[in-house]
Amino acid sequence: MKHRHLLPDEIDQLLDGEAGFGVAPLVAHVETCDRCRAELADARQVVSALEHLPHFVPSPRFAERVMAQVQVFEPWHVTALDTIKQWVPASRPARALGLTALAMLALVISVTAVWMAVRLDAFLFFADLAGQRARQAVFGAAGDAIASTFGGAAVDALRAGGMTAAIGVTSFLAIVLLAVVGLRALVATARRRRI
Amino acid sequence: MAPSLDLANLPDADVVTLAQQGREAAFRELLRRYERPVFSLIFRMVRDREISEDLAQDTFIKVLNHIDRYRPEFKLSSWLFKIANNVAIDHLRKRQLDTVSIDGSPHAASAAEIEATSFDLVARQESALEEMEARELGSAIERAIARLRPEYRSCIMLRHVEGRSYEEIAATLDLPLGTVKTYIHRARHELREALEHVKGAGS
Repeated sequence: MKHRHLLPDEIDQLLDGEAGFGVAPLVAHVETCDRCRAELADARQVVSALEHLPHFVPSPRFAERVMAQVQVFEPWHVTALDTIKQWVPASRPARALGLTALAMLALVISVTAVWMAVRLDAFLFFADLAGQRARQAVFGAAGDAIASTFGGAAVDALRAGGMTAAIGVTSFLAIVLLAVVGLRALVATARRRRI
Repeated sequence: MAPSLDLANLPDADVVTLAQQGREAAFRELLRRYERPVFSLIFRMVRDREISEDLAQDTFIKVLNHIDRYRPEFKLSSWLFKIANNVAIDHLRKRQLDTVSIDGSPHAASAAEIEATSFDLVARQESALEEMEARELGSAIERAIARLRPEYRSCIMLRHVEGRSYEEIAATLDLPLGTVKTYIHRARHELREALEHVKGAGS
């Protein structure tokens, strides 16, 4: 070692800071040999310059351009979990309060469900009553609307025609509605293309 | 409301798991972490900003669209650098653009384009003199890197700019460990020779 200078591989070992059996004699040699010390210093300068090279920055729109071509598919359960997590309070007391409120709500629902199971006849009675009231309200409102638009004769004709007339009128209205929506969509598309 | 997940503090493997679950924020976080290193690697390989952006974009699209194929036993960065290196090498093979000046794209047709495609080296030294010297050395080393063979270039940049171990570089570039050591040794040697004149002028 004393009679020769360091080989390139040995300079690399020192540059990489390798520790091991053969490194100590190399270090000792560098301390006594001006030429090898200068060579190692040069090599370290290059490595230092490389290590201080900056990163280049892509254009500000780079990330958006990439994301526009990345297919992100979030499964429904992940979306649902995230939505639920958003509603979980951050502080511990608020979480405890929320949990208590939830437990009380569950209790009320359970008691109601048990009551409905025990008193099924009463439940069915009230359900039937609510259904009748709702039906009457819907038919009344629809009758009023038809009477005010087409006159009382139209309501009488509908009542006389029964289900067939109702289906016919509903289909006609649906076709008109779809035609209007379709035409609006076509106009919007044409405007976007012009822009 | 509960605070949203702090992705910036999660390790890569966890962010990848979230991305595999389809969370867009995780994809964006991976992009944020690696857009500069990947872009820099490719830029130093191909020396053209516009082409580098396209190749970096291809790299990320390939990785992010196939994130479900990621194997956790490897580092994500190694996978990214591997694809980035491959797209850059493929491009160089097609265009043979391996020895271009850092002073701007060879395709630049005007002064504005030359400026837009030239390097902007940032030094962080304290004094103006040190900054000037560092800029000079930085520019010289960029020029010297540009003259290296592409395979030397990727090895030396992964080793010293990205701080990867020899083993990681070998795994990333699919090269034998001995070959990586040889490439890095030769690259260092060529860089030292190329920088001799800078030192000579400075002393």
